[in-house]
Formats: sequence, C-alpha cells, structure tokens
Amino acid sequence: MKRLLSVFLGVLTAIGGFVDIGDLVANALAGARFGLSLVWVTVLGVVGICLFAEMSGRVAAVTRRGTFDLIRERLGPRAGLLNLVASLLVTVLTFTAEIGGVALALELATSVNYLLFVPVVGFAVWLVIWRLRFKVLENVFGLLGLALIVFPVALWKLNPAWGDLLHSIVAPHKPASEDLSTYLYYGVALFGAAMTPYEVFFFSSGAVEERWTAKDIATSRVNVFIGFPLGGLLSVAIAACAALVLMPAGIEVGTLGQVGLPVAVAVGKLGLAVAILGFVAATFGAALETGLSTGYSIAQYFGWQWGKFVRPRDAARFHVVVLLALIAAIACVLTTADPIKVTEYSIVFSAVALPLTYFPILVVANDPVYMGEHVNGRLSNALGTVFLGIIIVVAAAAVPLMLLTSAGQ
Amino acid sequence: MTDESFDDMTDESFDLRLRLLDRQVVDPDGAMICKVDDVELAPADGGGYVVTALLAGPLALGPRLPGRLGRWTVALARRWSDDPEPSPRRIPFERVTELGSAVVLDRSRDQLGIAGLEDWVRTHVIDRIPGSRHASE
Repeated sequence: MKRLLSVFLGVLTAIGGFVDIGDLVANALAGARFGLSLVWVTVLGVVGICLFAEMSGRVAAVTRRGTFDLIRERLGPRAGLLNLVASLLVTVLTFTAEIGGVALALELATSVNYLLFVPVVGFAVWLVIWRLRFKVLENVFGLLGLALIVFPVALWKLNPAWGDLLHSIVAPHKPASEDLSTYLYYGVALFGAAMTPYEVFFFSSGAVEERWTAKDIATSRVNVFIGFPLGGLLSVAIAACAALVLMPAGIEVGTLGQVGLPVAVAVGKLGLAVAILGFVAATFGAALETGLSTGYSIAQYFGWQWGKFVRPRDAARFHVVVLLALIAAIACVLTTADPIKVTEYSIVFSAVALPLTYFPILVVANDPVYMGEHVNGRLSNALGTVFLGIIIVVAAAAVPLMLLTSAGQ
Repeated sequence: MTDESFDDMTDESFDLRLRLLDRQVVDPDGAMICKVDDVELAPADGGGYVVTALLAGPLALGPRLPGRLGRWTVALARRWSDDPEPSPRRIPFERVTELGSAVVLDRSRDQLGIAGLEDWVRTHVIDRIPGSRHASE
C-alpha cells in the first residue's frame, strides 16, 4: 500500500514537474499562431524525453553515477569540458527564464512590477535548496504544479468541436498565412521545450539523491511512462486553449498574462487564480531543478561531492556553484531583458544542446560491463538511435532557422 | 583486495582509458572524493606497465586539457599552491579496494589529506552561512 502510494505520488510529481516556463510559453505561442498544427512535435518530444529519462534513470539506479559523471568518463576531459560549458550556458539561461517566470506570475497576481520580486524569489530559491529535503522539494512543487489542470478544464469548458480538434492534431495543416521556416522554427522551440536537457540531469541526479537501486527501476519507469505523457497532455491543453481563444482574436503571445487569458475567458477569475498558482509552482519548481542542475553538472564533471543527501558543509563546492549560478541568473533577470524572450531563446538553445546530453546516455546505457542485466534492450536501442538522429537534425537546424526567421518574427 | 573481479582485472591487461581514467573516486561510505584525473605508471617486472597511483586535481587534469586552457589551469594551480614544488594529489594504488562504476578507496578524504579547494571553500564560505552543519529537513 505504501509502495503504491509512493508510486502514485511519483507520477503526480512527474506531471507537475514536466511543465516549466519553456513549455508554458512555447505551447501558448505555437497555439496562438499555428493552432494545433504543431501538437505532433510536442508528442514527439514527450516520447523522446520518456525514452531518455528512463535510460538515464536506469543508468543512475544501477551505477549510482549522475549523467555528467558519465559524460566525462565517456567523452574524456576535453570533449566533456566543451559539453559542460555548453550545457551550463543553456541551463543558466533556463534558470534565468524560470526565475523571471516566477516573478512574472507574481506580478500577474499582485500587479506589482516583476523586477521587485526578483531578489525575493532568488532568496527563496536559495533557502529551499539550502534547507529543504530533496523529496519534500520535489513533491511540494510537483503537486502544486498540478494546478495547471485548470487548462484541460478550461478546454473542456470552451466546449470545442472535439472531432475537428482531433482532426487538426492528427492531420496537421500549416496555416497558409505562415512561412514554412517559421512553422519549423516553432517546431524546434516546442521540441526543445519538451526535451530540455536539465530535466535529464535533474532526473538522474535525483535518482542518486534518493538512493535508488536496481530495485527502483520499475518505479522509475511508471513515473516516466505515465507522468511525463500526462504532463505533455497539460502542454497540449495549453496550446489548444490558445488556439481556440487567442488565434481567432489575432492575439500573439508576448506576456504570461496572455498564456492565462483563455482560462480567464473559459473559467473566470477563480480559474485564473488557480492558473497563476500553477504558473508560480511550475516555474519555481523548475528554478530549483535548473539551479541544482548547474551544481550537479559541474560537481559531477570534477568529481566533487554533490547533492542534498549530505550536509551543505560536506558538499561545499557544490553549494557555492549553485549560489554563483543563482547570482548570475538574478543579475540576468535584473538587466530587464524580457523574461518571455529569454525563455524563447533558452528553449531554442536547449534544442541545439540536445545531442550533447543524449548521445553519452545512449552509449552508457549500452555498456554491458556497466549495466549488467539492465543494459538497453533492442527496442530501447532502436528507438534511441532513431531519436538521436532526430535530435541531431533538430540541433543542426535550430540556429539557421532562427536567423532565417529573425527568431520567429 | 578480496574481490575476485578485481583480481581478474589486475591479471589481464585492460583498457585503462575506458575502465579507470575519469572515473569517480569514492571512500568506503560512498562519499565522493575526486575524479581519476590521471594515473602514475611504472614499468612492470614482466614487461608492460602497472598503475602505481591515481592522480587528481588541476595539476593532473590540466595537462590533459587542450592547449592554452591546459597551460593556464596548470599555471593557476601552481600560483595558488603553498608548496614551492607543487605536484598533483597522489593516491597510492594500494588504497584502491574496488574498481566498478566508481573507484572505491579504503580511506576517507580527510584521512588521505588531499583536501584543497573543498576545505578552503568550506571554512571561508559555507561554514559562515547559518545551517551549513544541518542535514536538510
């Protein structure tokens, strides 16, 4: 019974934890401009993140080593360092976007300028990382993030023609008014948002934090294969709401308020309040995850003690790295660069960095000396290889598409 | 040194780069100490080489990094060292009890006396923040 409860809790946490500022913005943006014609990309991204999160969770459970530990081991110190620097840039950019996102959500709730919230949010992020147990941190923000279920509720209240909705998902049709390159650019952004690399750093390091062993692989699979797709469903609901309310009105998403607007229209004030709670929880949770991920990746590369399962003084360098990353992220938000724009760039650069993370995971999950009986099966390998191909194409296309479309203008 | 698989590994030649270099080094309780940044080799009696020590720290890692970055790493590490003749941190291979997904030693980091930056950061930064000695709640 207790085990069942913990599995259930894990699934709920995965649902709430899947959505972050990148998913919120990208899905609303894409929905408002392209209707449901890009939902297939989100579906593809969810399949990809499930595949590689399962692999990295399995690797972490069997070897008790985090992802970057293995990246350095497989790629060597040179390529490993290049990978570390690139991944860190993307993760800190995402960290910046998440902190900006929390502040924007608080502005939405209070009408106080978001910049005033930034130092408070930053301090809160640090305090939680410094003091709260890993399990508590993961569960509280994952569960609060479930408030985003208000989006599927809003969709239901909007009472769309479900048949047409499903048809436009299954048989996607690019709107005639949009260029193919813009369509593809938003596709890349959605893919990057769904497969953001920090999710894998966090997931595998979290498995070590919680002292998983090979026995926990089954639990991990349930979390991943049920939780992430349901989280993906939230993303699709956000896109669908935007497609139904914002697209006909010709509204392009440029603020977090516009992401929540369809909920206000369909469910009213109370619904909007719940949506804002969901925004705060999802972005704050993701801020914790990205912040911890900066520490995880550097400490794992250099072999330092890391993690919240030891006292802060026993992982001194790890905590200093997290603190420095936090200061950098706060400074970036305080430059008054629009957090929504920062988010857009962070997910596109995530897409560029994808192969750096996912290739080494695939290699290690295939090493029989390391993995023993838990080595990748044929299905995992076939799918993993196909996805690696997709990931490489997406990564290569991301920057040219960005230049070609002036970042989706 | 009772682990059978470990004996197997020392008898046969094995891929140093794949199975030892850049592995995580941990103490008997699993606390993380460092990476195997480099190894010290000595000629073996029957030809070939044996690993005599694991090397760690910027002075071991630096030479394995490319070009200027590697030289700067070494130069900085030399400058910051109190030692007039700085050398990489050295862990004799006798300390190794197991080679698996991590390299397990029979001593803790404090017992080995290879503290360095971690201790500096601990005393000068982390210990000054309230709550550094408490486990998370």
